[in-house]
Parts: sequence; C-alpha cells; structure tokens
Amino acid sequence: MHIPDGILPITISAAGYATSGAATWHSLRKIGQKENAQASIPKASLLTAAFFVASWIHIPVPPTSVHLVLNGLLGAVLGYYAFPAILIGLFFQAVMFQHGGLTTLGVNATMMGVPAILAFFIFRLRRVVGKESHWAVGLFGFLAGAAGLGMAVLISWGLLITTIPAHLDVEAEQASIYALVLAHVPLIALEGFFTALVALFLQRVKPEMLEN
Amino acid sequence: MKPALSISQLTFSYPDHPNVLQSVDLQIMPGERVGLVGPNGAGKTTLFLLACGVLKPDAGEIRLFGEPVLPGDFHPEIGLVFQHPDDQLFCPSVWDDVAFGPQNLGLSKAEVASRVEAALSLTGTLELASRPPHHLSGGEKRMVSIAGALAMQPRMIIYDEPNANLDIRSRRRFISFLETSRETILIASHDLELVLEVCDRVVLLDEGRIVADGDSHETMSDEALMEAHGLERPHSLVYHADPHHGRSGEVVTRREI
Amino acid sequence: MIDWLDRHAQAASPLHRWDPRYKLVGLTILMFAFSSVQDLRLLPAMLAVTSGLYAASRIPLAFLLTRLRAPGFFIAIVAILLPFLSGTTVIARIGPLILWKEGTLAMGLIVAKFISILTISLVLFGTAPFLTTIKALRALGLSPILGDMTLLAYRYLYEIGNDLKTMEMAMGLRGFRARRPSSRVLGVLASLAGTMLVRSYEQSELVYKAMTLRGYGHSPRPREQFQAHPRDWVGLAGVLLVAAGFVAAEIWLRGLGG
Repeated sequence: MHIPDGILPITISAAGYATSGAATWHSLRKIGQKENAQASIPKASLLTAAFFVASWIHIPVPPTSVHLVLNGLLGAVLGYYAFPAILIGLFFQAVMFQHGGLTTLGVNATMMGVPAILAFFIFRLRRVVGKESHWAVGLFGFLAGAAGLGMAVLISWGLLITTIPAHLDVEAEQASIYALVLAHVPLIALEGFFTALVALFLQRVKPEMLEN
Repeated sequence: MKPALSISQLTFSYPDHPNVLQSVDLQIMPGERVGLVGPNGAGKTTLFLLACGVLKPDAGEIRLFGEPVLPGDFHPEIGLVFQHPDDQLFCPSVWDDVAFGPQNLGLSKAEVASRVEAALSLTGTLELASRPPHHLSGGEKRMVSIAGALAMQPRMIIYDEPNANLDIRSRRRFISFLETSRETILIASHDLELVLEVCDRVVLLDEGRIVADGDSHETMSDEALMEAHGLERPHSLVYHADPHHGRSGEVVTRREI
Repeated sequence: MIDWLDRHAQAASPLHRWDPRYKLVGLTILMFAFSSVQDLRLLPAMLAVTSGLYAASRIPLAFLLTRLRAPGFFIAIVAILLPFLSGTTVIARIGPLILWKEGTLAMGLIVAKFISILTISLVLFGTAPFLTTIKALRALGLSPILGDMTLLAYRYLYEIGNDLKTMEMAMGLRGFRARRPSSRVLGVLASLAGTMLVRSYEQSELVYKAMTLRGYGHSPRPREQFQAHPRDWVGLAGVLLVAAGFVAAEIWLRGLGG
C-alpha cells in the first residue's frame, strides 16, 4: 500500500509534499498550543517507535500472514501527533527498509496521515454515547481502525490506477479496481477488529492513553 | 532414572558473537537444585534458550527427561522464568496471563481455572488476580511470572536472574517459595548467598565453558577459583575469626555452629 | 537489524566526505529530477549518472542488491503485469497472452526510475551515520519538534524492537502458535501490541524526567555546526546542474513531440 519511487508522476509527488507539509505544519501548531507541549514530545516519540514496531507483528491470514498498518489506532491514541508520527515512521521505513519511497514520502504520509486524523475524530465521537463504556470503545475503535485503513486504501489505489501509464483497457481497469477493493475488505475488517481489541486493552490497563 | 536435563557437547555461536558456548556437558537429575553462576556474558541465558528449544545448537545434543529437544517445538515439561518479568507479562489481567500457558495446552476451561488458582495460591498472588500486571510492584510481577510458568505444571523450571530488582522482603519470599517447590530447579544468579541457601550443587560457567561443577559449599569456598572467573566467595563462606554462619550461609549463634 | 544502515557509513569516498547538508539537498533534488523523467531516451543517461554516483560512493554491490530485493518484489509484480495489460500496439502473441508495446515501454521506464531513485537514496543515507543525517536536516531548518521526535524514536526503535522479539519468544515458550486469525489469537496479539504501547508510554515518562533533569526545555539547543568547504559547493552545483539538465531535456523532448 505504500507507493514506491518511480511510479508516480512528479506533479503528484510534489503535491503530496505540499499537502503533507501543510498537514504537518497544522499539526505542529495544534501541538504547540497545548500546555506542556514539551512533555508530550518524548511520549509521542516513543509511541511513534512503538507503533512502528507493533506493525511488525505478524497476523496470521492463511496461507500467509499480514502486517497491519494501524494508522487508525495511531490516530486514536496520538491525536494531532499522529501526522508527525506517521511522517517519521514512513521516513524510517523508506530509509531503513526501502519500503515506500522518498520522492513519494509526501504522498504516502498524506495517504495514511489524513485518515489517521480522521480516525482520531471518529474515536472521539464515542463521547456522545458515554466514552467509558466498553462497547463504545470497542465500536468506535473498530470504526476508527477500519476508516483509517479504508480511506488509505482508497486513496492509494485511486492514485495508482489513475497514474499508471494509460492505454489501459477500460474494462480491465474497472475489473482490477473491483478486485483490489474486494481483496482489501477483509483486511479492513481485520484492522478494525484489531484496533478495537487494542483500544479495549488500553482502556483496561492504561485508560489515560485514550484521553486526548 | 533418566536425567531431567542432559546436555552433551553443546556448541553455539551467534552471527556476531562466536563461541558463546563451547562443547558444554551438563547433566541434571530430577529433583536436583542446581545453581549456575558466572560473569555476565558467560553464556547462561543462551544455554537456557537452547535447553528450551528456542535456539538451535550448532553442535551437540540436548535431552529433556530422555526426549530430544527439537528447536521450535513446544516443551511444556520445562519452564523458563525470564530475568525481566515485563518481557513475559502481557495480558490485561494477572489471571489471564497465568491462564495463557494452560490455554495453549488445549485444556478445558475448568482445568485451566483450577491450574490458575493453584499457581496463584502457591505464589501468594491470588488477591492480585484481576489486576493488570503492568501495575504491580517488582516483587509481585516476579511471583506472577513464576505463577505463569507453574500453571503449565513443568517438571523442571529454569530461573534466569530471578532476584534482580527484588527488595529484601520479596527476596526472602522467593527463597521460601523455592524451598517448598518440588520441581527440578536450575537457577542463574549473581546472588551467591541465594544459590548457597537453595542449591546443593553449583555449576560455574565462564566464556562458554563449564569450569567447575560440584557441591555448592565447596565450590564457592574456593577463593582462587571464584576470583579467576570474575566472582567472589559469598560472604558467609569467607573465613571469619568469629564464625557466625551456618552451613547454608544463614546467620547463627556460636553455639549452633 | 536497524543499524545495518550505518554499516558502510564510515568509509572514505567523495560521497562520504561531502558535507551532509549539501549532499541532502543535491541528491534529493536529483531524485525528484529523475522522478520527472517520462521520455525513454533519457533512461540511459539516468542510469549512467546513477552508476557514476554509486561507484563514487564505494558501497559494496552485495549490500545494494540486498537493499533492492524487498521493494524490488513489488516492482517486479507491476513489471510483469504491465506489458500484458496495457497498450494499443501489439509486439507479440504468446498463446492467449498479448505483449503490448506501450506496456513494455512503460515497464522499462518504471523499473529504470525505481532502480535509479533507490540507488541514489542509498548513496544519500548510507554514506553517513543516520544520526548525522538527522542533524543535517536540523541544520537545514527542520522543525525542532520533528527533529527531536525523529532522534528519540530512532534511539528507542532498537530497544522496543528487541522487547517485541523477547515477548514473542516468551509467548512461544508458553506454547502460543499464531496459525489462524481466531478471536483468541487476535486477542493475544492485541494484548501484545497494547503491552508494547503501555510500556513505551510509561518509559517515556521516565525519559522525560531524565531529560528535564539535564536541562531539556530550559533553553533552545544549539544547532549542529557543519563546516562546508569549497568542494562541497562544487559538488552541489554539479549535481544541481545535472538535475536541471534532466528536467530541461524532458521539457525539450516533450516539446519535440517524443
């Protein structure tokens, strides 16, 4: 789902840097406005590392296994810090593991970071139904996780399909879009379910982590 | 009687660290309590991971109660208690964490429940059952991690530096617990007085080789031997003009010696 | 696993000696210039420039190939599919499959760009310790919040990764095998992830206290001092010229109706 270097046209890559630059600037401003912003930097930094490592956990999906993206969970837990966290995480991935790309860093960050912020707002909605209740945390956790990945998948595949060199048979294009979306539905459900489980765990063991 | 743990010619290297263990031979009979001492980096933890089948030896053979240890397989007859309980406790409640092992054994709910209760009682942690392990004190975490191993009813338990970060009371509680446990025990510890008190036999490991294996009292009294391998004699074994230690290191009055 | 990046960072080559800030600016702009290439006639030049910079960096070939392997897999899938799916001019027929000209050419473009950009990025990040690269970014104006976050996250990445490995080992020792995504398995893995988050969160509170005890937050920290030599300027100018050349050539060729 991370888009590697070499595929996207320069216009899209540049636009991606512009949008992620704006989103980062906005997030940093919001962070700076909070009292004791300084204390939250080590917190956000170590959690960035922890989320990065958590995505290495293998989830068995026979016959193979998958890695979760967890951008929805990241948004729910980190709030506005989610965008810088995702930017840094993607930077590490591109530089250390050649996963994703450097020219596409902006695009990838926008594609995963914006849904993460959206997931934050979705998760916060649980206040409406009483945020302490287990089923509220579970339900909105699921929605946040599913929305986080779902939106990222849509943006990612939308970009790829529309920018891969054309001359593509229209029917083949449509068929491939349907196939890819269908293939991702179970993954989106899995991500939502997993996010709900982790949110419930955090609520039980360290509920202050869910307060933003 | 088959040895509980039988290691012969065990050799192991890490990619960036050669000769961590060099042709190690060790036999532990059922019911024995053996201490493993040696400086940091001697290879103790590596030895434990090999004994439990987590790592694959470069050469040599390991048998548990007569059966060969196959790397990657699950060997519930041996339990390993890690140095840092935080690395082993991950469930949202103590009860869940102790139940983890029995559940992996495929036992029925009732059987799991009875094992968990037994393990919690034995370790004195029954009243902590519903608490998250993350919120416990160091001593409590230590006993809960032991309960997690006990719940699988192993025949042998390995303790890797069990005493690190325990306060005096927790340490004493742990020693009392060990005195009453019936499993075969192998303990790696820098706390030489504990080894003296609990273990009849001590094995000295240094730079991947066993340099001594014998009665704990005699072996650890050997000043030259201990100091040659980065250790010191436990205080109670040091010659005292005014002797005040009994055979197992405990402080006694003159009359009792 | 994570410090492999620094494995060849201490060698002595022109790229290693280049001031990290200038290297960062120059090679990043070059990567973008490559990314803008659409005309196939520029591919040989692009690959030549890439090879030249790579050779100058003295990074071992085996190392380069291992780094290209994992992402190459994804690109390989695209490379295999495109020639058969996309195009209007037929080159060949292999049984029921049609090999299209446009798809094959597009594949060539993508593969060449991918290899070039990735190699340049390896030259950029593999010829200086990662920490130095972050300091260079700070010197170039990266927000202090982002800079601090990157450094701290990098510092603890290794430890947290090790903790995960140890915890997974402990779970395996108690018989856990993740074979199916049952709700029990997912619950266990979710507890594992949750525990890691909680541990990191609590550790960060200690880290913060340790940092404030040594003055963090009382005054702005000094920016790293880098010393540039004339040859650093020359290198930058050279690379920027090459990058501009590619962009100009691309525009010109497009105007010609390539």
